Formats: sequence, C-alpha cells, structure tokens
Amino acid sequence: MVAPPPPVPTTPTTEPESVPRADPGSFRDPANRVLHVGGQVFRGLGQQAAEDWRALAGAEFFDRLRADGKICGTETVDPETLPASLAGQWATVLRHERIPFVSYPYEWSFAMLRDAALLHLEILRTAVPAGFTTKDGSAYNLQWRGAEPCFIDIGSFEPARDGEPWAGYRQFCQTLLYPLLLQAHLGLDFQPWLRSRIDGIEAGELRKLFGGTRRFRAGVLKHVHLHDAIQSRYAAASTGTVRAELKDAGFSRELVLATLRGLEKLVGRLDWQPPASHWSGYRETCTYSAADREVKERFVAEALAEPNRSRLVLDLGANDGTYSRLAAGYADYVVAVESDPAVVDQLYRRLRADGERRVLPLVMDLADPSPGGGWRGVERGSFATRAEADAVLALAVVHHLAIGRNVPLPEVVDWLVGLLAADSGGRLVVEFVHPDDPMAARLLANKPAGLFPDYHREEFERLLGQRCEIVRRLELPSGTRTLYLGTPRG
Amino acid sequence: MDHLAYLDAGSGSLIVQAVIGGVAGVAVAAKLYWRRLTSRFRRQPSKQD
Repeated sequence: MVAPPPPVPTTPTTEPESVPRADPGSFRDPANRVLHVGGQVFRGLGQQAAEDWRALAGAEFFDRLRADGKICGTETVDPETLPASLAGQWATVLRHERIPFVSYPYEWSFAMLRDAALLHLEILRTAVPAGFTTKDGSAYNLQWRGAEPCFIDIGSFEPARDGEPWAGYRQFCQTLLYPLLLQAHLGLDFQPWLRSRIDGIEAGELRKLFGGTRRFRAGVLKHVHLHDAIQSRYAAASTGTVRAELKDAGFSRELVLATLRGLEKLVGRLDWQPPASHWSGYRETCTYSAADREVKERFVAEALAEPNRSRLVLDLGANDGTYSRLAAGYADYVVAVESDPAVVDQLYRRLRADGERRVLPLVMDLADPSPGGGWRGVERGSFATRAEADAVLALAVVHHLAIGRNVPLPEVVDWLVGLLAADSGGRLVVEFVHPDDPMAARLLANKPAGLFPDYHREEFERLLGQRCEIVRRLELPSGTRTLYLGTPRG
Repeated sequence: MDHLAYLDAGSGSLIVQAVIGGVAGVAVAAKLYWRRLTSRFRRQPSKQD
C-alpha cells in the first residue's frame, strides 16, 4: 500500500503568478498534483505515480504522441527546482509545456468537444496495446493550442491490468459522449449542462430525454439506456467485486479495444449543423460596408502593431474571427470569444482546417461570463481570473451589452479596462456604435423610448477618457460608428 | 496489486463494457451473469449449515 503524498496548501487563483501554488483544480487524484511556479507549470508525483511515469517515459507510443503534439510537452526536472514551500513531498517532479489559455468544455463548441473526445479515444487506443490505460476519461483531460487539442493529464496514465474494463468509461460518457449526443441528436446546446455540473450529465438524466423512437438514434440504446439500466441494477455492488468477477468471466484487453473502436466510430459519426434559418437571421445582424470594413481592419492592425507584441489578445464578440486572425499576426495568442455556439463552431472548423494554433475560439455570453466552479468555486477558474490580456478588442459589442442587456455604460467600460493585465501597458480597441446606427436603432426599438439617455458618443468618450488615455479615435466612413484606441491610466 | 483508482468507475459502467464489446463481450457478460446466478444456488446450502 502506498500512502498518498500529504496535502498541499492551495491559494486562490487570484494570487499573482509569482506566488508558488498548487493548482486548485488538480486535487482529485491524490497521486499527483499540478503546481504553478513563476509562470511555469510543474507536476509533483507521489511514489506510485513516479513509478508509472518511469514506465510511461520509456514507452514508444508515449514518445510518438508527444512528438505529434497530441500530448502536452513534459520533461523530468530536478525536484529542487520547486521552491521550498512546495518541494520535499514529491518523489519526482515534471515540467509541462504551458497552455497559453486554459479553457473548459463548457466554453467549447460542438466540433471542439467532438475533436477532444476523438483525441482522448485515440490516445487510449494507442496506449492499451502498449500495456497502459488512463485512470479516467474526463473532458478536463484536454486543453487547446489554438484549434489543436492536446491531452494534458500525464498523471492519468498507468500500467493496465489484464482483464479489467476502462475505469474512465463512465466519466467519458458523462463529460464527452452525452453532451455530444444531446447536441447531435436533439439539437440542444450542451454548454449550460456542463457548466452547471462539473461531473457532466448522468445516464439517468439523458435517458429521460431519449424516450420513444429517439432511443434508436446512434449510440443511445447502448451507451445511455443499457448503461443506465445496468448502473441501477448494480448500484449496490462494489467496483472491486465486479472487477474480479469480470476478470474471472474472461474480460480481456481485446474487449477494451473493441469498446474504444466502437466509441471512436460513434463519436466520429456524430455531427451537428444549426438549422439554415439560423444563418439567414444572423447575416442581417452583421452588415458592414466594404469601406467601413477596410478602415476598421487598418485601425485594428495599427493599434496592435505598436509599441510591442502582445502576449494575449482577447477578441470579445469575435463573430467570424476576422479580427482574431488579424490580431494573431501581432500577438502570441488570441482568444476569440463569441456567444453564438453555431458561429464559434464554424470558426473552429475553419481554424482547424487551417492548422491555426494561435487562435482559440470560445463560446461565452459576455453578459454572463464563465463563473468559478467545482469545489469552493475555484476548481475551475472564472473567466475573469483567467483573462489577463495585453490587448482587448471590443468591436461592435458595447451596444449589445449597454442596450441589449441594460448594462450601465460606465460598467461596460470598467469591465473592458479590467480585463487588461495590471502594468502590462495594455491596449483597448473599442468600437462605439452610435444610437442612430441601424444596428443600435434596432436594439433600441426593442426597449422603451428614453431608457438609455446616456447612450451617446460624447458620454462614452467621457467615460473612456476617465479610465484610459485615448491614443487615437476614428469615425468610420458610414458616420455611425467610432473606433478608439485607449491605454489604461496608471 | 495496489489499485490507485481514485475514481469510482461505477460497477454498472464496468459491466456494460462487456455487453457493448461485440460478440466476445456478450460471451463474457453471459458467463458473468451465469456465475452470479449459479453462485446464488451454491451459497444456499452453506447458509443452512
């Protein structure tokens, strides 16, 4: 019996990066722990995990997956690398490649979740013949480099034991397969389900949505109905007993592979396209003259080109990603945030086809950004704690918040400026849509007249000027929109 | 061998993997159910002793 390593004190994610801390989201498997020290990411391994790592590091399949970028970069380092507050309790210490922006499955689009699921299955299918398995099957095992998924949970690998099924199957269903079935078969957005439940969707819940002939949709009968029925029947049986019984009955590695092949085939076939009406309605909301577009692109490019390259740019209300792609030319990484899951899905598919590794598309409503979640509300970081940008693009977004969602204009400006990392010399590029612009007028028409007396250009400029030095301003040729480049005042 | 299975894999979720694993899986599942059934009868006399 190997005693788990002693617990590590955690600090809230709002601490500056320079303070060494254990990641508040990595406590579930006590055999190892992710640690953050000065912007670098380490993983401390207990005795058993260290032995598993030694076996894994020598395995050919692992090297190949790592070389292909499918598993995040990982190397063994001297345990003394860790500061005294974190050192001394780990048999082995690993250093990981840093993921440019940590995101969560409830911020991904359908195709993103599907590609993440396929990568998880591919990794396991490669590991099993080499005698390894993964302890779990969570969507949280995956992260992104732009539009490329990558498996990050190195601590999840362990030598497989003959005659045992995959321990992560249930978690795979709950956090990956079921959300995909929900969207592919019923057209329901899965993001709110995953956001509200850290362990994903239960088989019993999903089963209720797949009654009648719906039960015959691909994958539903086996992975939802049968799974739930057997779960209920064996609720009282311990997993230890069941494991032993399955082994006696002749469960084999081949059966694990058969399950994985079946899942890969199923997930690969699942697809989702929004109804055609979605796009016809959508196009009406993004009308720009060619002249406006050209001027706007030049303004954004010039704003980001100086004085130095940005590390992280947030493109809020990214739409089709035009400006995110533009920004990627001047930044290490761009996070493109858009509330419409269909728009994000289409953007992701294009970015993925282009092999774009510097733009990460995310689904998020700006008036309802991701809160902290899980244990003590910090196991998953809120968007605000993760978003420390060097530059923020807020193009054609202020009117949606101020008029569409009634957010007071001063708060909109405060929020935008607050997303910039402290003392980064950050830049805010913001577009103000005048009340007489057709898009703003359409939003205003849905609200009682006179509800937003302060929504005008002079007031916006005054508020922005209080918080930022306005470096440049430019009215677009249409005459109903103005662009600003601001740098926050000390 | 020591298990460091930190996750509750779920008994039903383990068994269902035999059932969904094609023909070979069904054979394993049938054997499992058969043994569970027969063990019930086997145990009875020992309880009466």
